[in-house]
Amino acid sequence: MREALTPGSKASGGLVGTSVKRVEDKRLLIGEGRFIDDLVVAGMAHAVFVRSPFPHATIVSIDVSAAEALPGVVAVMTGPELAEITNPFLPLSSIDKLYNPLFGPLAVDRVRHVGDPVAIVIAESRRVGEDAAELVAVDYEPLEPISSIVQALNSSREPIWPKAKSNVMFDHTDTFGDIDGVFTNADRIITESFSCHRQSNQPMETRGCVAEMATSGDGEREMVFHATTQTSHALRWVLAMSTERQSALASMRSLAHKRDKLKRFGAGAKAFATEKKDELGKSDNAGMLYQARKDPSTLKHMGRTFLNVLDKDPSEIPSVVADDIGGAFGVKGHPGREDVAVAAMARRLDRSIKWIEDRNEHLMVSGHAREEDMTIRLAVTNDGRLLGMDVSLVMNQGAYPAVPFGAAFFTRIMKVMFPGTYRWDAYRLRTRIVASNKAQYVAYRGPWANETWVRERMLDVTARALGLSGAEIRQRNMITMAELPTSMITGPTLDVRMSAHTTLERAIELADLEGFAIEQAKARSQGRYLGLGIATFHEAAPGPPDYLDHVLPGGGAMSSEPSSTVLKPDGRIAVITSQMPHGQSHETTMAQIAADQLGVGIESIDVVFGDTRRTTFTPTGTGGSRGGPMGGGSVLFSSRDLRRQILDEAADMLEAAVTDLEITDGNIHVVGVPAISKSFAEVAANIASAQGEALAGSVNYDGGAGGWSVATHVCWVDVDLATGSVAIPRYLVVEDCGELINPAIVEGQVRGGVAQGVGAVFYEHAAYTDEANFITGTFVDYLIPTSMEIPEIEIHHVETPSDVEANFRGVGEGGMIGAPAAITNAVEDALAHLGVRITEQHLPPTRILELAGIIEKDPV
Amino acid sequence: MTSQADQQIAVGFTINGQRHDLDVSVRRTLAEVIREEVGLTGTHLGCEHGVCGACTVALDGRPVRSCLMLAIQADGASITTIEGLATDGVLHPVQQGMHDSHGFQCAFCAPGFLITAACMLESNPTPTREQIREELSGNLCRCTGYHSIIDGVETAVRLMQSGNESAGGEHA
Repeated sequence: MREALTPGSKASGGLVGTSVKRVEDKRLLIGEGRFIDDLVVAGMAHAVFVRSPFPHATIVSIDVSAAEALPGVVAVMTGPELAEITNPFLPLSSIDKLYNPLFGPLAVDRVRHVGDPVAIVIAESRRVGEDAAELVAVDYEPLEPISSIVQALNSSREPIWPKAKSNVMFDHTDTFGDIDGVFTNADRIITESFSCHRQSNQPMETRGCVAEMATSGDGEREMVFHATTQTSHALRWVLAMSTERQSALASMRSLAHKRDKLKRFGAGAKAFATEKKDELGKSDNAGMLYQARKDPSTLKHMGRTFLNVLDKDPSEIPSVVADDIGGAFGVKGHPGREDVAVAAMARRLDRSIKWIEDRNEHLMVSGHAREEDMTIRLAVTNDGRLLGMDVSLVMNQGAYPAVPFGAAFFTRIMKVMFPGTYRWDAYRLRTRIVASNKAQYVAYRGPWANETWVRERMLDVTARALGLSGAEIRQRNMITMAELPTSMITGPTLDVRMSAHTTLERAIELADLEGFAIEQAKARSQGRYLGLGIATFHEAAPGPPDYLDHVLPGGGAMSSEPSSTVLKPDGRIAVITSQMPHGQSHETTMAQIAADQLGVGIESIDVVFGDTRRTTFTPTGTGGSRGGPMGGGSVLFSSRDLRRQILDEAADMLEAAVTDLEITDGNIHVVGVPAISKSFAEVAANIASAQGEALAGSVNYDGGAGGWSVATHVCWVDVDLATGSVAIPRYLVVEDCGELINPAIVEGQVRGGVAQGVGAVFYEHAAYTDEANFITGTFVDYLIPTSMEIPEIEIHHVETPSDVEANFRGVGEGGMIGAPAAITNAVEDALAHLGVRITEQHLPPTRILELAGIIEKDPV
Repeated sequence: MTSQADQQIAVGFTINGQRHDLDVSVRRTLAEVIREEVGLTGTHLGCEHGVCGACTVALDGRPVRSCLMLAIQADGASITTIEGLATDGVLHPVQQGMHDSHGFQCAFCAPGFLITAACMLESNPTPTREQIREELSGNLCRCTGYHSIIDGVETAVRLMQSGNESAGGEHA
């Protein structure tokens, strides 16, 4: 359900703002998508990984002879062998007081989680490879595993990373305002502890890659690495850094003969440093110094890796190509250990290799998220005014930190976002990150989302203690539109478009709280349990210009978004974006924006993405709800730049003033005189005949005014205490993401996010035993909600009037940020009169029945 | 292990109206043979254990999980995959309905949903929204929350009804 945009919003009159049908559908609906497993290259072999069945063990020996002897096996390589030809992953985003263990694509002497890869088999077919993998004999000596946060915090346990000397990898406290004073003077202090379970992204397509070896035009052997990645350039450079290891000395000797190259590199580095001087000046090297003290070998590995990359000729640096991707939700933003192993083997064997992860591997090793325990204290007045918030967060990041940034980065976002859009006098967050014998912690749709879950859950806990409703405590404490602009207590600006309060008021109005209270009371008298929960959040999508300074100083240096819009010889338009879409419909939305700017139809636009040979470097890609605001904003300005150039050229051809020209339906003509005109193809031909370069508008967009995406979610539940199942009769989202590019696509993003939130609360759990054995390795154990479990979701858009250009804000993650909070608040509301308190996020039927006292808690 | 598992058996079936006679390894699934030997990659493998439904194909008009079925079991069958839904470049109503309703996002699950929906509409051309919801509950989508996919089938139902009416009009 959509409602009219707020009066005053810009009506573009073009394609932007309308639900244009998807361009992508033309191939995807007829089975002509180009997903990774559809790719077949000549002479391709297949990779299969041998994985540890133990959560924690020493590798005593590996015997690959039987596997190698199997007909059809090309090669088998173990961890120590692969380590000789690869550099370890480097902690590039170092944070002060964070220790990042160094590790390579395969385990070398110790396995640290179930599924840790110990060998790679290359075979003529996948089935022979799987047969061979079963023949690799590994002798393990089991070690005591660490599974839970409690175990990891127990200092008597052996550290799984000896150099860390503890299983606590990061322990840091951030304080804003006079926290002690505020808590001393508060009327009341309310304390609660919350626990969130491991969840997993689980796109319908698993990860995979094809490392294609080919001979270039000038006879060099080169690699095109086809990948399922959200960030093709970051993957490219991780592959370049990790593969074809040689000694630092060998690289230096080789470089001595490449003076020109060194000079070019020096000039490039200087140009980057000059352009990004302000951003780079904000960062310090405290994180790297801490890392180097913990593990001095870091500097040796960094030095060698840097020299190895510098020494590489262009043909030795792989190109990365990504095409259709079957979803990701964050997990494909991290270059995989398997990617590096496959690339290294393809180079070593000089042979193309395909690897397609199976679902069991994807569930077990691709990554999990959100395993966090938090204790939160709120200082409040008796009439429900929030004064201070004091939080202790412990995050279980598993064994290996994700690449290129792991869980630690997300805690820095949580630090900034925890206060939400409420007024506070003081706030403190202690953050600890622990290592365990579990799979890596990865980005999952709003990776910081538990700040919203815990804050919004705690507001309801506090309201109940003070005799207020969930709506009242939010209304009393949320920053109103009249108070804007202001700043969060953690620093970032809240500009005049930050309309969280508007979404709250509109949601309350639509929800009819008085009507619900009557219905709830009536249902209770009949033995039925209805509940209603509210949650409000804001998301930096992309955030105000000062946002990243408060997350990680200097973080802005890498956050800009390049694009080019090019007039092709035939008069068509190519939009070349460094975004890496994987379901978000960029081929449609980017084309809508460019078509409006250029005055052409959407069918004249080709959106180009995913091939590092064609797109401009950016370390980010598609993630963090950047597609609309950053990708869309970038395309708006590069298209506008191209329009200006086309009009200049056409003005010369038509002997008219630029100011007298307009473009209608691809026809460039004098205003009011459509007959005196030039087509885009004629302009392109004129430039070609004059030997000119094709016209192209290019920008590296910094996000402009940026801004926040905001929403209030309201969830209604109907809890059945006979079965423990929870129905969701109604779900409401009121959101403001600025100007909508394509309303149907926006609504699809919102609904998809809410659906994952429903899954997280009632169904999904990436579960381990206390001995760190992984027990949810199929879709029969890890339950993805079906069409029967996901409710109809009402969406109401509000848009704050603004003159900001490219007023697009991201909407990909928000659904999942708000949903767990609204849902768990609703469940507590339904059962609160029975004394039930919801302090954990996972509420499958058995847990509901345990909490309601209907069944005994399972002692195991 | 390998020699017995790799025993080849001759099978013949029709895929999207075209006859295929192949010698296939007894351990190969129907999905693998459709994708790798016939070369129709529109049928996708999402879980390979029969839960996600991305590999669903129509076998003699009924939806089956091609990842759970051996290719040799399909001997003599008539199979329809996503590539066989459109005729002469005209989309099947379920394809057109999904397009009109923004049904899919990444669309990795699309082959299974489209085949399941097409099979359902063969036996029940006028399902209610709740019937559609239930029929599609054997297929997983991770992107959309299903709302737009159910909308797409409802649109397909309307397209089929208006198509039948106009076809009826021509005959009259």
